[in-house]
Amino acid sequence: MKWIYRLLSLIAALFFLAPIVWMLVVSIKKEGMKIVTLVDWFTPPYSFAVYEEVLSTTKLSNWTLNSFMVAVCVTILTVAVAALASFALSKIPFRYRSFIFFFVLAGLLIPGEATIIPLYQVAKDMDILNSYQGLILPALASPVAVIVLKSFFDGIPNELIESVQIDGGGTWRIFTSIMLPLTRPALASMAILTFIGSWNNFLWPFLSVTDDNLFTLPMGIPTLMNQYSEDYVKPMVINTIASIPIILLFLVFERQIVKGISLSGIKG
Amino acid sequence: MRLSKLRADVLALLFLLPFLIVYVLYTIWPMIKGVEMTFYKWTLIRKMSYIGLDNYKRLLQDSEVWAAIWHSTIFVILTTPTMVVLAIVLALIANRKSRLQKLYRSVFFIPSVLSVAVASFLGLFIFQPYMGFVNTFLHLLNLLPQDSEIFWLSETWLSWIAVSVITLWWTVGFNFILYLSAMQEIPDEIYEAARLDGANDWQVFWRITLPHLSPITKTITMLQIISSFKVFLQIYIITGGGPLDKTRPIIQLIYQTGFRKNDLGYAATMSYVVFIILLVLSAIQYWVNNRKGEHA
Repeated sequence: MKWIYRLLSLIAALFFLAPIVWMLVVSIKKEGMKIVTLVDWFTPPYSFAVYEEVLSTTKLSNWTLNSFMVAVCVTILTVAVAALASFALSKIPFRYRSFIFFFVLAGLLIPGEATIIPLYQVAKDMDILNSYQGLILPALASPVAVIVLKSFFDGIPNELIESVQIDGGGTWRIFTSIMLPLTRPALASMAILTFIGSWNNFLWPFLSVTDDNLFTLPMGIPTLMNQYSEDYVKPMVINTIASIPIILLFLVFERQIVKGISLSGIKG
Repeated sequence: MRLSKLRADVLALLFLLPFLIVYVLYTIWPMIKGVEMTFYKWTLIRKMSYIGLDNYKRLLQDSEVWAAIWHSTIFVILTTPTMVVLAIVLALIANRKSRLQKLYRSVFFIPSVLSVAVASFLGLFIFQPYMGFVNTFLHLLNLLPQDSEIFWLSETWLSWIAVSVITLWWTVGFNFILYLSAMQEIPDEIYEAARLDGANDWQVFWRITLPHLSPITKTITMLQIISSFKVFLQIYIITGGGPLDKTRPIIQLIYQTGFRKNDLGYAATMSYVVFIILLVLSAIQYWVNNRKGEHA
């Protein structure tokens, strides 16, 4: 019986790895070779010439940089904005607290896809189409992040907060020296999930940006692909260049990513 | 936290303000603005003229819209059960103690971090005839005669399979992680007790593992239905909605109506249909989740 499990496991692993391996192998294949069988892809001659060509003649590296900058800004600001709001909802006893909480909760029901057309009009009215602000600002309001972080802040005992108050610490100090450090794992997980979400975000950048200097990877890639439909090497070089940074990031932060997903699933 | 009433209100407002500003400007306000747009002939350039309920009347009779909603539904039907079952199988594999355990976890999840554009273009080339990965692989194993080719993207049902397989490959990792962490929370004692009673692997899975996974399965199923219904880019890139618009999902139609046919008013009207469908699905999900909470 044991070997059946092992065999099935290996087949599953191959299913997930094969497309990525194929992408890598095709990307270093010499251009214009005659391909008849699968083995042809996996045999020399190899060449990195197309990498140089793609990097020097396209804006792919700009777009990778844009994707990173937008994702980093969105991540930092989303987590900051959500942490501030969820701290107020969790620990400050203000009027209308439950009303505001409900107002945020309602946001979970509003799918971005359903508001994208009016959002375009709103962004146009504000004159932020075709700008970094336009790419970043609409992505910042994350009700999910507020609700998940609130549940973590709720878990911090009030006695701890009161002891800081007795020592003369203000609200800001409570926030920065107790709340944030004690919820660091949750903040990190939320940050990583936000980063991946922003990195892969397609629909809004696709609609709101037409200037190719501002493209992020998901929108830039399709514009390159149309030109090379008959050729496999260039598309796979483009795919590979676009994927290497995020795969490396995944390998470094795998534990936090896994944890973040588990958290978001529990909270639904 | 002890604060005077007024102080609490002022502080709360300051802490909430950044969130409320972006939330109201970019989520709530578009929701409201969208309602206005549905009553107008509204182009990419400007608001044209008030047309009352015309967009709604048109929508009810527009067979393209209902076809597109049906296509999104087909995608939900194809991907939801497969996503759930495959995720459970993968979690079982990665949950077994073995030397490769860690490797399996990484490998099953890696495609999930790829950009949707990368996954889609990879899919497009994988399913090409003559030189694509799938056909050459089938030739290699002699499952497909050497002189014949499968044209995955020229026939409706084959296109559905291609798009679903790619989506499965690309996104099943999220569900897999959720299942894996749920499995790791099942106490070992329960398994040991079952083993002492002589249960085999099969019985352990059906009687212990699966019942313990049922709350998370409900959550995953609902989340999957919602996210599958919102499909756009994979289909747009891999099949272009074709052949003959037969795989075009509703989000693609909204995009084309608004930005290609320059009719934002009508596109906004369609968006509200999507919104209502997703709202109903989310309400069901909320209800399912809360019931789970009562039992736990």
